[in-house]
Amino acid sequence: MEKMKLKLLYSDLKPELELIEKELEQAVDSESLLLNDASLHLLQAGGKRIRPVFVLLAGKFGEYDIELLKRVAVPLELIHMASLVHDDVIDDSEIRRGRPTVKSEWNNSVAMYTGDFILARALERITEIESPRIHDILSKTLIEVCRGEIIQIEHKYRLDQSLRDYLRRIKRKTALLISSSCELGALVSGTDEKTAAHLRRFGYFIGMSFQIIDDILDFTASDQELGKPAGSDFIQGNITLPILYARQNPEIYQMLRDNLNLDISDEKRLEIVRTIRTSSAVDEAKRMSERYLEKALKELDYLPKGSATKTMRKIAFFIGKRKF
Amino acid sequence: MNGQQIQSKIISMEIDVLKAVRQRTLDQLTEGPFVKEARLFFLLLPFFNGEQWSDKMESSARTVAIVYAALHSHDRVREEMPISKEQQLTVLAGDFYSGIYYQLLAESKNIEMVQKLATAIIQVSEKKASFHESALQQPEQVEETATVIETALLNAFYEENGFTHYKQLMEQSLLYIRYTEELEALKNGEFSHILRLFSETLIQSAFIESWLTDRLESLGNDIVVSINDCELDFELKNVLLHQIIPHRLSAEPLTREG
Repeated sequence: MEKMKLKLLYSDLKPELELIEKELEQAVDSESLLLNDASLHLLQAGGKRIRPVFVLLAGKFGEYDIELLKRVAVPLELIHMASLVHDDVIDDSEIRRGRPTVKSEWNNSVAMYTGDFILARALERITEIESPRIHDILSKTLIEVCRGEIIQIEHKYRLDQSLRDYLRRIKRKTALLISSSCELGALVSGTDEKTAAHLRRFGYFIGMSFQIIDDILDFTASDQELGKPAGSDFIQGNITLPILYARQNPEIYQMLRDNLNLDISDEKRLEIVRTIRTSSAVDEAKRMSERYLEKALKELDYLPKGSATKTMRKIAFFIGKRKF
Repeated sequence: MNGQQIQSKIISMEIDVLKAVRQRTLDQLTEGPFVKEARLFFLLLPFFNGEQWSDKMESSARTVAIVYAALHSHDRVREEMPISKEQQLTVLAGDFYSGIYYQLLAESKNIEMVQKLATAIIQVSEKKASFHESALQQPEQVEETATVIETALLNAFYEENGFTHYKQLMEQSLLYIRYTEELEALKNGEFSHILRLFSETLIQSAFIESWLTDRLESLGNDIVVSINDCELDFELKNVLLHQIIPHRLSAEPLTREG
């Protein structure tokens, strides 16, 4: 339902997004039936396609050419997909978007090959663009995303990490790829530097807000809405913003500490989720998300008014309010 | 170029790879980048044989080694449950190395090589996926699978730089080394993906052993011919036969690669 609402927001882009969807399917076509099945399994589980959407919207600020923009939009979504398959191995996740993960449907090795295959397809496609600047931005982003994930593993189960640690981690993990989607969409369309910079910053702030909301939803949405058990972040040792705020209460801190890195029962998991949900941590985290959202909206004020700015604004509001 | 110089260049390449992918956490908690010595030897073979060798080629060769390290890292991911921290970082090490390969080539504006290596990675991934498919493969198909896995990245490098005249020797030699390892594994009662594929088509392990032995014999002969075709100098030929390629082609005990 929520995904449908989001898709309604960018209904203006429907034909282009349908084209992107077809291109994604073609991109994962393989002589290996197994890789083809595993990639399609992931692709058909859906997703918000937020990265291609931002590429296309950013493209509206320059010479809008879907043939050119799709060469960026498709690889960016593929890069995101590849990271998801490998993330599920790292997190031992059985379910994603309500469907078995590639590693659970097949095994870790198949998930590794699938991720490598999809990433290579992304690079094969992006090299259709010759601009060194595009490759410079994207390659740096890829490395930073990996660094973010490495740091996430390092910080696992560390209840005493700082807010700064968390923000730097989500910047790399999520915000940079969304930021690059906006910037690359702008650059391939030939926008001026100033516009591209505003779009890049818009993407960054939206990405930060998006990830914080995602982290909040892990405690406020139901298992069914999430398509995975609520509280998964805590169980996997990922110390997110709601946990950082909730730990300020000594009783909650003790409870979190006592259950961290343990094979806890379902009952206990739900108790922790309930405790965080009913604490002030969720509201505090929401306020942080809103601050990023406001910064994102401010960036839009510098851009020419038009349908793309309007849609970006709507998406920003939606992200702030989404329920799962 | 004598044997010591060749060995020293290979070590220098290993160090360059290490430096290029340095990351504190990965250095501490994972095995680190690993590339088989024989693959590095063939990556540098044109240089050893006195071909014109530019900085761009050197940097391109380094990225090929990094991609080998990336794929090797992902090969080390096991099915254990729950996954350990080292295994989690091994997944990320492979991804990180892939990012470095892209960044290095993007920096040197060698986008064509990014594309060629991406295509090679696709081929390798497709062949590795066949380890988990139930379709029966003939020995020739298993051989093609092993060849692509061993050589696709090197072929991308040779094609990019006009060194395809080494292709045959490189493919035969790396296949020879792979089969020697497989034969060794078979004799030790160990399991490998390639052996499993062979066992499905050749049914009995005794047949696999004789098939591999015959094939090694014939590859050995082919290698000698190819060495002459490539006009390698004596020292280089010597290093290849005595240090890089193990088993019967050499009269002496061999390196860790064997």
